[in-house]
Amino acid sequence: MFEVLEHAADVGFRARAASLREVFESAAEALVALAMETESIEARESYPLKAAGDSPESLLVNWLSEVLYYLDGRRLALGRFTVSELAPDCVRGTALGEPRDPSRHPALLVVKGVTYHQLKIEPQAGGWIAEVFLDV
Amino acid sequence: MQLEPIDRFRYRIPRDATRGMRTDVIVYSSHALLEQIRKDTSLDQAVNVSMLPGIVGPSLAMPDIHQGYGFPIGGVAATDWQNGVVSPGGVGFDINCGVRLIRTSLGAAEVRAQLKPLIDQVFRDIPCGAGGEGPIQLKPRELDDVLVKGAQWVVERGFGNAADTEFTEERGALADADPRQVSERAKERGSRQLGTLGSGNHFLEIQYVEQIHDAAAARAMGLEAGQVVVLVHCGSRGLGHQVCTDYLAQMGAAMKKYNLTVPDRQLACVPISSGEGQSYLAATRAAANFAWANRQAILHFLRGAFQRIFGPSLRMNVVYDVCHNIAKRERHRWDGEKVDVLVHRKGATRAFPPGHRELPEAYRAIGQPVLIPGSMGTASWVLVGAEGAMRETFGSVCHGAGRLMSRTAAKKGRNAREVEKKLEEQGILVRSETRDGILEEIPEAYKDVDAVIDVVDQAGLARKVARLRPLGVIKG
Repeated sequence: MFEVLEHAADVGFRARAASLREVFESAAEALVALAMETESIEARESYPLKAAGDSPESLLVNWLSEVLYYLDGRRLALGRFTVSELAPDCVRGTALGEPRDPSRHPALLVVKGVTYHQLKIEPQAGGWIAEVFLDV
Repeated sequence: MQLEPIDRFRYRIPRDATRGMRTDVIVYSSHALLEQIRKDTSLDQAVNVSMLPGIVGPSLAMPDIHQGYGFPIGGVAATDWQNGVVSPGGVGFDINCGVRLIRTSLGAAEVRAQLKPLIDQVFRDIPCGAGGEGPIQLKPRELDDVLVKGAQWVVERGFGNAADTEFTEERGALADADPRQVSERAKERGSRQLGTLGSGNHFLEIQYVEQIHDAAAARAMGLEAGQVVVLVHCGSRGLGHQVCTDYLAQMGAAMKKYNLTVPDRQLACVPISSGEGQSYLAATRAAANFAWANRQAILHFLRGAFQRIFGPSLRMNVVYDVCHNIAKRERHRWDGEKVDVLVHRKGATRAFPPGHRELPEAYRAIGQPVLIPGSMGTASWVLVGAEGAMRETFGSVCHGAGRLMSRTAAKKGRNAREVEKKLEEQGILVRSETRDGILEEIPEAYKDVDAVIDVVDQAGLARKVARLRPLGVIKG
């Protein structure tokens, strides 16, 4: 679950989930939803994702940068994300999706990068939130 | 925040050592623009930049300044080459995002008569938008050559001529670029994107010269009133974005190693002289070269599109190509001393004055052309660099109108078809892959470009040469 946040030049999102692990999953889904139409993404293949970091913030930025690489570098359309391991210095998981077909997955935005600008990842109201701004 | 007026176009935020500021912030702005600037956090970001180790001179804010990430967009900072730092945030994700202006042998009336088929042809021939992949598929070794040779590589392939690179900043290639410092991921993101416009605020505009303000400078650039020109605004695409991402990820650990702290993680930095600093700079130069190659490839496809409509006798020549997201080693004078500095220009344009040895011979007497794109449907400007920029801003000025409104706010309550219709009534045709693309870049989302230009002109940083008006817009 996520909502879009405003920024004068770019765009951000606030993702919410019940656990820290799930907020990583929701944030990845938010990134994809801002980048492309997600309705017709089919879960044909599973793609492994991993990122390193030295804080929850850097783990989140590097995790989302990993997702962005799969979207823009590997040209994939990714749907459901599952985080299988979340350690203080590493996050691992998978994404279900398929090779990107621009006719079925029209692009919405080119996301250039994931930023640390006003980045938040913190417990709130019985769950976790992540706020992330993207350079577009 | 204490903001002292110096004169009509300069304000100072004095150094406050208790906040960690190492130097003043100087803001170039009119009173009216300052009201807009103060609505976001860009001046706080300029203060943060003043805390960078080894900063030489003030942290500088141009009149188009707006909130960015770490650095404000419209910010300039020079750091000492021996003892200073390099910050990828001072360049941004879109390394060598820049502008290329091309003059044509066509007049506005001729182009207006064929505007619809022309804009449609250009829209077909130059891939744009989020899914845009280019017709040039690069093998790994070819891509490495592009990263070293920049625009020259594209010209050597027959896609252009020597004059195209002659009139490009750094002749379209920075020396000491090292493809080995560019990750395979970055190369993968860039390998199919040569000759593509991209998305966001990138665009290609067919324009005409509406007003000449400096006849001699305009003559030297081959510009005259009523002439049709094309302005291309884009950068290093996914390759540059990934280079920034890769090095930002490394900087956290490297900062601990060098015992550096900054007030904003997006301002992460390392000593220029460190291995990490040198690797980042070598990768940045490679990405900058990719951007120049990209704009050269776009010119090739643009020439083809125009010739299909107007025939082979049509001439299209580069007026100039200049980047506005870069960190470059330059020699300047500061406080009467010669200094060797790394100039970070984040949404700021190099603006060297007349006589500078790095200018092409044809522009040595007038100064470096400075190309300032305005918002969609308003005006763009051609300026030349002036002595004031060398004295005060490490040879730098603004880069655009400066964003005022968020993308979400721009879309709220507006209809893309109505925006297109309104522009059509002004004689401007717009093409975009997405409706959102048009709405996000509506003229109201930006500051008044003329007001921004007045500041840099009257502050003596640059001089007005020509004002350009759009006829057709391709929104990336």
